[in-house]
Amino acid sequence: MNDPRVYTVSELNREARGLLETALGEVWMKGEVVAPKAAASGHLYFALKDAEARIDVVRFRGRSPALAPIEEGMVVLVFGRLTVYEPQGRYQFVASLVQPVGAGLLHAAFERLKEKLRLEGLFDPARKRPLPPFPERIGVITSPTGAAFHDIVAVLARRWPLAHVVLFPSSVQGDAAPAELILALARAGRFTIDGQPLDFVIFGRGGGSAEDLAAFNDERVARALSASPIPVVSAVGHDVDVTISDFVADLRAPTPSAAAEQTTPDVAEISASVERSARRLVQAISARLLDAERAWRSALRASLVREPRRAIETREQRLDAAVARLAAFPRTRLAPQIERLRHLEEVLRLSDPRRPLARGYSITYNVGDTTPLRSGRETAPGKLIETVLASGRLRSRVEEVRDA
Amino acid sequence: MKIEEALAKLEEITARLERGDLALDEAIELFEQGLAMAAATKRDLDAARLRIDQVVERAKDTLSVEPFDVS
Repeated sequence: MNDPRVYTVSELNREARGLLETALGEVWMKGEVVAPKAAASGHLYFALKDAEARIDVVRFRGRSPALAPIEEGMVVLVFGRLTVYEPQGRYQFVASLVQPVGAGLLHAAFERLKEKLRLEGLFDPARKRPLPPFPERIGVITSPTGAAFHDIVAVLARRWPLAHVVLFPSSVQGDAAPAELILALARAGRFTIDGQPLDFVIFGRGGGSAEDLAAFNDERVARALSASPIPVVSAVGHDVDVTISDFVADLRAPTPSAAAEQTTPDVAEISASVERSARRLVQAISARLLDAERAWRSALRASLVREPRRAIETREQRLDAAVARLAAFPRTRLAPQIERLRHLEEVLRLSDPRRPLARGYSITYNVGDTTPLRSGRETAPGKLIETVLASGRLRSRVEEVRDA
Repeated sequence: MKIEEALAKLEEITARLERGDLALDEAIELFEQGLAMAAATKRDLDAARLRIDQVVERAKDTLSVEPFDVS
């Protein structure tokens, strides 16, 4: 019996390489890219994996032009042959062609378009237009049957029912979608309500697969968006979905509901601020009335009837009206302030200089004097005096001063 | 008046009244004006109902605006 053949390591590796290369020949393989690494030599190293296994792949420099940058997680098709890297006895796939497929292909196209439009300046922050704080006319471009429009309407009805919403129906997926979206954008841009253009338009759809969202990554749609005469709010898919539309739009919202949320004030907050203003008005006028009351009191002491009756009546009427309005103010928590104002009004009534006169008292001056007489000593027989009654004045001459 | 203008005007009136440098007649007049404005604005806010229309292409290149049925 012959001695069994003893291979050297090199010999066996060379043998294995020959077997692998001839037995399989050139093949296609599909897998997910793991740990891509471009070496200084220009060769590209990565591995492809599926659920169970992985194979090292090398694409030598100059073998084929790169279709797209190869990135971690991308699904690619490679064409080439399986071989053995003899120095280490590892088998590896030498790819002559590397080509993204499916989502990977979409992803590569997405990155290329994104870079192109970015370089053209379509994403420039200076192009982004501000939205009005209190929008009145809101356009929506989406499917009339999708959840997106329903969500937007639900948020607006609760949050900002002062708006007028106009839907521009469009399909949002499929071959017809890009052209329909572009047409809808053109219509929304021209649309007016009472001669006023829309404040902005929400442009989007609910979540879906990468293929479902393709229309929002369409270059023609991106260009139509950037040409829109009115601001556009992009609202495509779920939080994680990012589309070219998001980059071009004046504002990007993560979802259609969020778009409605982010572009409108909350009517409850506005309402609360109006009520705050009303309370501030009441506080300010109460303070002013207190001042007035103090001023009137001291004026009364100095000169009881300088104030013409008509002026007092006018003020009283105004005060009455003010209190009535306060009472009629809807759904506010103004009760304490109203009470205070009513009290003030009462104080003002009580300090009305006509009240004592109405009960039969009167005020007397020396004619030509402004200080009311408090003592008989302040006048003298023969002097002319004037007496002010609730109604009318008397002029008399003093006959005698007694008990002064 | 637009809601935005009403809110701005209301704030202006309130701030002016709070400065407290007005004659009483002027102050009361301003107070009434402000309160009426607050009441009217609040009424508008409370009464607002979202209006929803859609653009419909009835014939080629002929658009009409119709109420959108939410239900």
